[in-house]
Amino acid sequence: MIDKSYAIGVIAAMGGVTFALRAVPFVAGLWLQKHPVVQRLGHFLPLAIMALLTVNSMVGMAATDPSGPWPEGLSGALVAMLQWRTRNALLSILLGTGVYVVLRNTHWLGA
Amino acid sequence: MGYIPLGAVFGFLFVQAGADGWLAVLASVVVFAGAAQYMMIPMIAAGTSVGAIALATLIVNLRHVFYGLSLLNKLPQGRLARWYLVFGLTDETYSVLTTLPAGTRDKQLVLIALLNQAWWVLGSLIGAVIGAQAQISLVGLDFALVALFCVLTVEQWRARKSAAPLWVALLAYAVAFLGSPRHALVIAIALSVVAALALDRASRVVPENQK
Repeated sequence: MIDKSYAIGVIAAMGGVTFALRAVPFVAGLWLQKHPVVQRLGHFLPLAIMALLTVNSMVGMAATDPSGPWPEGLSGALVAMLQWRTRNALLSILLGTGVYVVLRNTHWLGA
Repeated sequence: MGYIPLGAVFGFLFVQAGADGWLAVLASVVVFAGAAQYMMIPMIAAGTSVGAIALATLIVNLRHVFYGLSLLNKLPQGRLARWYLVFGLTDETYSVLTTLPAGTRDKQLVLIALLNQAWWVLGSLIGAVIGAQAQISLVGLDFALVALFCVLTVEQWRARKSAAPLWVALLAYAVAFLGSPRHALVIAIALSVVAALALDRASRVVPENQK
């Protein structure tokens, strides 16, 4: 069982950080908009960071998987392809996760 | 409406990890950030320190800073409406707001964000209730987080003219992983920032030389 006061502390901290990030532009927006560096980072970082989070979480899962990294790579590629074609996040996530769960529990791919 | 099943997956996984159902609902009311909430589940289950989870939240949600920058003049002026929209500026709400015409009424903007959050919270509640019924010991359900990150990456890619940030990020990760597998993510983010600034310089120097 997860301790309640610990969980509430985590939720409060996450809420605070998330709100602060979303509020930064509205507090210091005019100053930030004036700097071309910020604009450039705004074009570059969101995609770069999402790609990094994806790869990092895949690597993390593959490390716990005796038959890794094939199930992770295959399911990840499936999610990306589905999302690119259909733009249906729910479909992509449920199908990709479903395929991954099947691969992990049936050990089709080695080990 | 699409938020209901995604919220349900969160509520379900959170309760399966050993949290009370009402905590899933509380998280969706207070945090309201899908990717960060998914990310937090294995961390909280492992008893990770609050500071480390806050730092991870910072990294996962850093992109939201740039969302707000492009919406500065679009949000309502009324205090309560404005700050609620700032709070509710998720990926989904942002992408809806950017497609609306300039003169959209403030009430409608708030309604969009409120509905999005209502579906997200309701979904979390449904998932938490289902998750409390039975413990399912299926390995691999936490792939939902990888899948959600992957979906967000594809949508970021679609919204951009150039895929350069994607290739730079992958290269940076490979380099960082060879250097230190444990801190690969943070190192790769730092490398990506440096690369973004360097590429920016290069692209500004070239036209000047051609004059």
